[in-house]
Amino acid sequence: MIRSFFIYLVILIFGVVFFVSMVLFAIPALQESTFVLPGITENKNEGEGSGTDKESLEKDISELQTKFDKLTPTNAYMIVNTSDNHFYLYKGKKLIRHGVCSTGKNEKLVSAERNYEHIFHTPFGVRTVLRKQPNPVWKKPDWSFIEDGLPIPSPNDPSRWETGTLGAYKMEIGDGFMIHGTIYKRRMGMSVTHGCIRLLDDDLEAVYKAMEVGSKVYIY
Amino acid sequence: MGANSGEDFDVLFVKKRSGGKIFIIIFSLFILALTSIYAYLSIGVVRDRMELAQSQVQGSSQVNSSLLPQLKEKAWLDSRLKMASGDSIGLSIDLESHVIQLELKGVVIMSSKIRDYSISGFFRKMDGNVYFSMFGSPLTIQQFKSSIAKNPLKVVEAPKDTIAAAAAAAAAAKKDSLLDENVFWTVKLDHDFELNIQGIDSVSESKSKYKLGKGFEFDRDLKNITKSFEHILKFSKPVYTPEILISIPENEAKAILRALPRNAFVTIRI
Repeated sequence: MIRSFFIYLVILIFGVVFFVSMVLFAIPALQESTFVLPGITENKNEGEGSGTDKESLEKDISELQTKFDKLTPTNAYMIVNTSDNHFYLYKGKKLIRHGVCSTGKNEKLVSAERNYEHIFHTPFGVRTVLRKQPNPVWKKPDWSFIEDGLPIPSPNDPSRWETGTLGAYKMEIGDGFMIHGTIYKRRMGMSVTHGCIRLLDDDLEAVYKAMEVGSKVYIY
Repeated sequence: MGANSGEDFDVLFVKKRSGGKIFIIIFSLFILALTSIYAYLSIGVVRDRMELAQSQVQGSSQVNSSLLPQLKEKAWLDSRLKMASGDSIGLSIDLESHVIQLELKGVVIMSSKIRDYSISGFFRKMDGNVYFSMFGSPLTIQQFKSSIAKNPLKVVEAPKDTIAAAAAAAAAAKKDSLLDENVFWTVKLDHDFELNIQGIDSVSESKSKYKLGKGFEFDRDLKNITKSFEHILKFSKPVYTPEILISIPENEAKAILRALPRNAFVTIRI
């Protein structure tokens, strides 16, 4: 009696497993195979109804390719990968330098007491180098004091000015974001910045020299 | 009396055994019938989908199949140029060259070699006209779903004083940013296409990992099973979604996921 019960139970389970596996795997696989679809009726009559021939198509392709290639800047430009913190310096389609960088830490700093919040994130998209400056002095913004648990000084307080922090050069790319050096070299290759792009000294110098005001920075 | 009762018992046993056989046969036939009906309905919906796509392009000039490679190349460049006119990062997928790229304003900002891919039979059976109606212009992402956070943002409470700030800085320095994550993401595109991207460490993983990666869609699988009964009972056709599955290195799958805007453009060449 018990044996029969177990036999029926096994058959029942087997039936359910069979149905489920058919629904989840076998039937979808059958759907993806081409033989369930009706065949294509191919038109091999050259030029019939299409209004195109091979030569004019190849000419169109060549024109489109030229148009597309022209979209790549001919002067130096930089690509920044914020996901694995690497930068690539190109001139035209030629890679001239690449290395590690540090980008935004993707954090939202919140201070309920001071009614303040700020997002530390490197913005994606294309930006332009707006200004280049050697030996930059950093004017610490409010978030720097909040992050350090310090009171916010007045806008022109001397405690806001700091030398050396940004390295030997800076390139402004708009909205307060910059490409600059760092004193925190151990943390290069990590997402630790407040949104700026930090480079190592040698890389920064190479990028600074190659990039002009107006050069593009592509960030993703 | 004793002998009779012994015979009755044997008869009952034989009857029970034959009853069991009948149960097994009926149950097996029932399962086979359900499976066959569902298979019939599922295949029917694929055929309907192709017929619908073909009927939508009826009336447009017939594409010469001998010029298909050139026309595909033209459509590919045309579509990428249209994508370049926008300000957002877009995705271009060239299955012919096994390359997946992020593009911004026509500049290739990231390129990854596709290690493995599979496409639905629907895409393989498309004729020229259907191809151009589907891939002649960039497709738009309608919906994102991923095994990891697309744009993770950690909320940090500002420290009350310099001591708390120093402790927070020390803790942040210890954290490891190189997390080993199982990256799998899927997007719904126009025309109800589905694009699945999985991160793999080796080519051998490309077949097995897909199923593991799909684990985050367990709810969908469960729904499919319950819905299959509904379709069988109502004799209605289930939904069919043509799919593209692409396997690329894990860090690149993650980078693309993070880079793409919610409604990004996608250009595909098959």
